Amino acid sequence: MAKKTGVFICSGCGIGESLDVDALVKVAAKECKAPVCKTNGFLCGKEGVELIKQDIAAGELDCVLVVGCSNRVNYEAFDFGPSVVVERVNIREQVAWSQQPNDEDTQAMAEDYIRMYMAKAKTVEAPEPYIAENLSKTIMVVGGGLAGMTAAIEAAKANYQVLLVEKEAALGGWLNKVYKLAPVKAPHTELEDTNLEARIAEINDNPNIKVYTSAVIEKTAGGPGLFDVTIKQNGNEIIERAGAIVLATGAVPYNPEKLGHLGFGMSPNVITQSMFEEIAKKGTITRPSDGKEVKKIAFIQCAGSRDQEHLPYCSAACCIESIKQSLYLKEQDPEAQAYVFYKDIRSSGQYEHFYKKAQMAGVMFIKGDVTDVSEGDEGTLVIEADDLLMGDKTMADEIDLIVLANGMVPTTAFEEGVYMGLGAVAAVTEGAGEAAASCDAPAVPPATIIKSNILNLQYRQGPELPDLKYGFPDSHYICFPYETRRTGIYAAGSVRRPMDMGQSVGDGVGAALKAIQCVELTEQGAAVHPRALDISFPDFQLTRCTQCKRCTDECPFGAINEDEKGNPLINPTRCRRCSTCMGACPERIISFKNYSVPMIGNMLKAFEVPEEDEEKPRILIFACENDAIPAIDMAGISRLQLNAWIRIIPVRCLGSLSLVWINDAMSRGVDGVLLLGCKHGDDYQCHFMKGSELAEIRLSKVSETLDRLGLESERVQARTVSIMDYEVIPKMLAEFMEKIEELGPNPMKGF
Amino acid sequence: MVDNKISSAPIKYDNTFAKEIYSLENGHYVKMCMQCGMCAVSCATRQIMDYSPRRLFNLIRAGKKEEFMRSNTMWMCTTCCMCKVRCPRGIPLVDVMHDLKALALKQGYVEYPQAAFYQAMWAEAFGRGRVFEGGIMARFYLKRGWNEIKKALGMKDLGMEMLKHGRMPIVPPRKIKGLKSLQQIIQRAQSLQEKEAK
Repeated sequence: MAKKTGVFICSGCGIGESLDVDALVKVAAKECKAPVCKTNGFLCGKEGVELIKQDIAAGELDCVLVVGCSNRVNYEAFDFGPSVVVERVNIREQVAWSQQPNDEDTQAMAEDYIRMYMAKAKTVEAPEPYIAENLSKTIMVVGGGLAGMTAAIEAAKANYQVLLVEKEAALGGWLNKVYKLAPVKAPHTELEDTNLEARIAEINDNPNIKVYTSAVIEKTAGGPGLFDVTIKQNGNEIIERAGAIVLATGAVPYNPEKLGHLGFGMSPNVITQSMFEEIAKKGTITRPSDGKEVKKIAFIQCAGSRDQEHLPYCSAACCIESIKQSLYLKEQDPEAQAYVFYKDIRSSGQYEHFYKKAQMAGVMFIKGDVTDVSEGDEGTLVIEADDLLMGDKTMADEIDLIVLANGMVPTTAFEEGVYMGLGAVAAVTEGAGEAAASCDAPAVPPATIIKSNILNLQYRQGPELPDLKYGFPDSHYICFPYETRRTGIYAAGSVRRPMDMGQSVGDGVGAALKAIQCVELTEQGAAVHPRALDISFPDFQLTRCTQCKRCTDECPFGAINEDEKGNPLINPTRCRRCSTCMGACPERIISFKNYSVPMIGNMLKAFEVPEEDEEKPRILIFACENDAIPAIDMAGISRLQLNAWIRIIPVRCLGSLSLVWINDAMSRGVDGVLLLGCKHGDDYQCHFMKGSELAEIRLSKVSETLDRLGLESERVQARTVSIMDYEVIPKMLAEFMEKIEELGPNPMKGF
Repeated sequence: MVDNKISSAPIKYDNTFAKEIYSLENGHYVKMCMQCGMCAVSCATRQIMDYSPRRLFNLIRAGKKEEFMRSNTMWMCTTCCMCKVRCPRGIPLVDVMHDLKALALKQGYVEYPQAAFYQAMWAEAFGRGRVFEGGIMARFYLKRGWNEIKKALGMKDLGMEMLKHGRMPIVPPRKIKGLKSLQQIIQRAQSLQEKEAK
């Protein structure tokens, strides 16, 4: 337990000009009884850091309070090794830069922050990493297609042992089925060979890669560094230990049987892109019905994709596939005619050259909605469409072959071989909602888990990866690619999002790197993204556990299993340290060495709440460290004036919000509490998926508590901010303040 | 905006006509159009064209020869080059338009006054080695027929004023020296152009 706390106050960067630093020293040394309290005009400089180091050496300080800038800067300068806890008190961005200089309220704010962090320092401890035994650094790749093979090769090249598990008898996946690839090399106009033999040979020749073909995964237990995977191959069960998993099981074409409105099933001459690859691979492109050489071909793009009744998303690869396939025909017969009916040609990046090449070859691109496909004479077909560019009906007849670009569905979207379309997913969520409504507390609908029989995880929350959207198991397409909602399992290739061959290669490399990061950090006992390098981990006082299962339910990463009695079983290597469990626990038995419910409780009890007649209200802000705190810092950097009555407490995630904090704050006479967290909902930005959503749901219960205290529930409100929202923060605070002034001061003041 | 509807019969994609266009000197560029419409929004005379250049190109690709030939689009092109410099696909639209005009003249689609003017101007330049305004005027109105000549007579006061001020010569200028050689050069260039297009 930290006993000796040194306070070091920096007066640089304009702090000294707007605050009375001597008075701050008085608060720290006299009032809070810090054994060491020093000031420096340039604390992060060489001399300043030396000053702190000397005191650590001499006075054996075990906790250092750096009073100055935000913890988002200079963290390396103020790193004094694992045994010294460093707490950063931000009086630069949050006080000196965003408040009236040399004002009595500004001074009070800075003094309060010192009191708050001194209170925190009393109980904060240096975290020790959890280092599991028999950790493995092997990387298991599930799926031996292009993305999986790339991930395996890249990880093996980086000198990690790799297990490559493939369901089929041969590696290659989708590549086995295609004739040629769209170009990835300059000049980006020539068809390329799949080069499959060379890729497989590279894997077979690499001593670091162990390949299991015709194998499936029966069971995946454990967590990062400790995955115990049961592989079933030819009736034998093999158990392997892996450190991280790359999921690269790919996608399958959308079921064309559902595309009857585009003529599939009406004529054998209406086929899908994959069927066309087969025909092209055999040699001459002929009609399936009678073997006549194809002279006129039509491609229908977005057959299923970008269609609310089928696949609402863009399948990303089909435009280029159709261009490629039209060139197969042009290669065979330059006089043959090819039509592409499209919504938008999405030939991103260098593929534009390929698109141009097809245009030069005479492929006709028609932007239009296909309205009808019918049979003409002698096995030919007729397409009718609305030509959107000419604003008229259009028709192409005497077509020998129609190819439907039927898009892709991730392998994770199938339950027992049945595609879980949108309806099914919605039904699952609704059912969960009802179940939640029946119990006393409102709950966030649990993430949909489609039992796709791929990984068969031994996780309490379900056997597969949670679905983000449409069956794709990602967690956030933009902010954290490859990350699924299961720590240590990274999705790559078209199972993550629809993508083409070139992108799959990139994905394989990226996911392999993520897997390597994961095994390395797990070895150090540290968290992975987004709290990378954090070595604290939650500690459960199980003797007081009531088996309410809130922590096991609410953990966004499924890190907590249960024993048969319902006691939580933490898997520390799965933990990402968001502390959602800490906020969820009604018994408050979950804590971190450097972050706990009492610690924050002490902080909010430490600042002064002026009497009612002083007319100085107090607003407590719980701000998420991921987006809200940076936004507030940026408001300070931009010298935006913030409200003078606020006191900010950073939290790891709003998911860690404990209702007891609100209760405590209110009973102290704080006039309002504002929660600043990330956007939630469908396109959430929460770094821990559901933290801010959970906080708002918990808030809905707080009104009860407030009623009991005789207070208005509007005194506690939640707002969402993104990192770029710093400009709106002053207005947001002003509006909240207005509301609080309307309600009048908290009657609990002075009790 | 004039926005001629295409004939109500559905477009039946027939590439015979498109191939005819592609075989012109700059005709193959028509293939490269991706229908973004940059030419249409850049065009100063788009408002009076039957079809914007983009639509004209699509007519060609759809095989609508009659609509194409009867449209005024290429005749309204002032060769300002705005579309040419802006086309993201690098299509030299002005050059394409020129080829299209030449083709229309060759095939006898001369209903627009611009066509007659082009022919008159060219005949003057070719036959004399320099341009004589009076000659162009005479040729133009003769080509356009009796109604146009009547219109021209309506402007006789203006003509008289121009004559008075020496703005309109009556006597044609002399032919240039070595006209034969110039004509040979032109003919050679034309045959080269035709050869290249093939």
